[in-house]
Amino acid sequence: MIPPLAVEFDWDVVGRYLFNPLIREGAWRTIQVAVAAQLLGVVLGLLFALMRISRNPVTSVFSGFYVWFFRGTPVLLQLFILYFGIPQMVGSQTFTRELTAFRAAILAFGVNEGAYMSEIVRAGILSVEAGQMDAAKSLGMTQLQAMRHVVLPQALRVVVPPTGNEFIAMLKNTSLASAISLVELLYASNLIYSSNFKFMELLVVAAIWYLAMTSVFSLLQAELERLLAVGERERPETLFSRALTLMGGRRGI
Amino acid sequence: MSPRSLSRISLLFLVLALAAVLAFAACKDDKKKTGATPSPAAIDISGVPELADGKITMGSDIAYAPVEYLEEGTQNPVGLDIDLAKAIAEALGVEVEFQQVADFAGIVGDLKSKRYDIVMSAISITPERQAEIDFVPYFGPVGTGILVKTGNPEGIKGMEDLCGRPVAAQAGTYQVDQMTAANGDVCKDNQIDIRKFPDNPAAVQELSLGRVDAELADDPVAAYSALQSDGALEVAVTEIEAAPYGIGVRKDSAELNSVLEKALQAIRADGTYDSILANWGQEAFALQ
Repeated sequence: MIPPLAVEFDWDVVGRYLFNPLIREGAWRTIQVAVAAQLLGVVLGLLFALMRISRNPVTSVFSGFYVWFFRGTPVLLQLFILYFGIPQMVGSQTFTRELTAFRAAILAFGVNEGAYMSEIVRAGILSVEAGQMDAAKSLGMTQLQAMRHVVLPQALRVVVPPTGNEFIAMLKNTSLASAISLVELLYASNLIYSSNFKFMELLVVAAIWYLAMTSVFSLLQAELERLLAVGERERPETLFSRALTLMGGRRGI
Repeated sequence: MSPRSLSRISLLFLVLALAAVLAFAACKDDKKKTGATPSPAAIDISGVPELADGKITMGSDIAYAPVEYLEEGTQNPVGLDIDLAKAIAEALGVEVEFQQVADFAGIVGDLKSKRYDIVMSAISITPERQAEIDFVPYFGPVGTGILVKTGNPEGIKGMEDLCGRPVAAQAGTYQVDQMTAANGDVCKDNQIDIRKFPDNPAAVQELSLGRVDAELADDPVAAYSALQSDGALEVAVTEIEAAPYGIGVRKDSAELNSVLEKALQAIRADGTYDSILANWGQEAFALQ
């Protein structure tokens, strides 16, 4: 016979803490870190992608090294090196104190993300046929102008889906910052269950918030892709666009 | 792709980037300050570099009830160490700022990297730690308590009964040192399986779940965990190898060390120390 399971789980507790101020603060902090780190990653990724494809051997090799190191080590290790290792080596009180957990998380995740973004941007640039660059140059543009006005805008459409994917991963990776006691969502739930011992209930609260954040972002990403597809023959449908149609007409959006 | 949507995206990007930079620069991180306005004190702190900014930054693992812990669902630190720290700070005429250390096991390293002025976190004074930093003793000696399931099903009466068993403790604590020493000595042929956890509540949870036979923590903390467990856990043994708690200061912080001693003497003399201990039920452990 199957013995009865003593399932000790209280949905009331979940409801009670779902909008707790500490949890909300943690969720907000998670978004802040994820957005700031992703932006840093995109900027670095663009920079290093351009460096990688440049004909200058110094920048190309340097960029290769950057990608190799930051993709080749765990991001948690990089976070620890930044937050614990470097202050120990620098030994300056001002430096250690200015490097708060919040800033360290943004820097570490951002620099790490830059390595992945540089490969994504590079792939996007490669996806634009060489003829575009030739045509731009024949119009008298420099390499940089051609990149900015012709190649990169077209690369954008290929870059957006994997970047969106990266951002969703970033939202979740911020939970690693709990290891340096940054009060983001996971650590906030940890603080609460450390005092009331309702481990599962609080973890479910955190899970609900993570799902909410990643789902909202996925919807936004689908919209962004649809916007970028204006003028293309096949435009993807999203929940939002289907809803608009149902409500009566779209006026070319 | 239309130029208009591209420039809209670029604009959005710029706005987000600006917001991110502002957030990065402005947000100084979660800190917990005292509300106490420093009153003029009799102790001269002019020669102490760490106190030049009028506040003392204290690192602590604020998850060790009742010595230091956060009020449930908030970020307000409370506890014995918290109250003593505030009293000492007031005696010195400065504010105290509490910061959660990333993990207790790294607390000595964090102090040495100058992240904090002092560390005060129910830290037992041990020779290994004294090799790295200096201490101002302020409480105890405090012994180790062995926490078990109510009814003591495994019949644990002392450290020797832990041999060959899985036992939990917080990583970096004196209790881990004690068990490691036992493994080289009384448990040499039948080692304790020491399970270390980043914080004490996680170690207690392991006992509740039955994955370990006992959990070791400082006496006041073990007693408090038993109290919080609604009868599920009890303290089987107490007062094992007592050692006093100390406020940790860097070896080069000699001036800070001496003013802390003076402040401690001051609060003992005027009865503040005793009343704080009585408040937390810890009079038995007043500094010898």
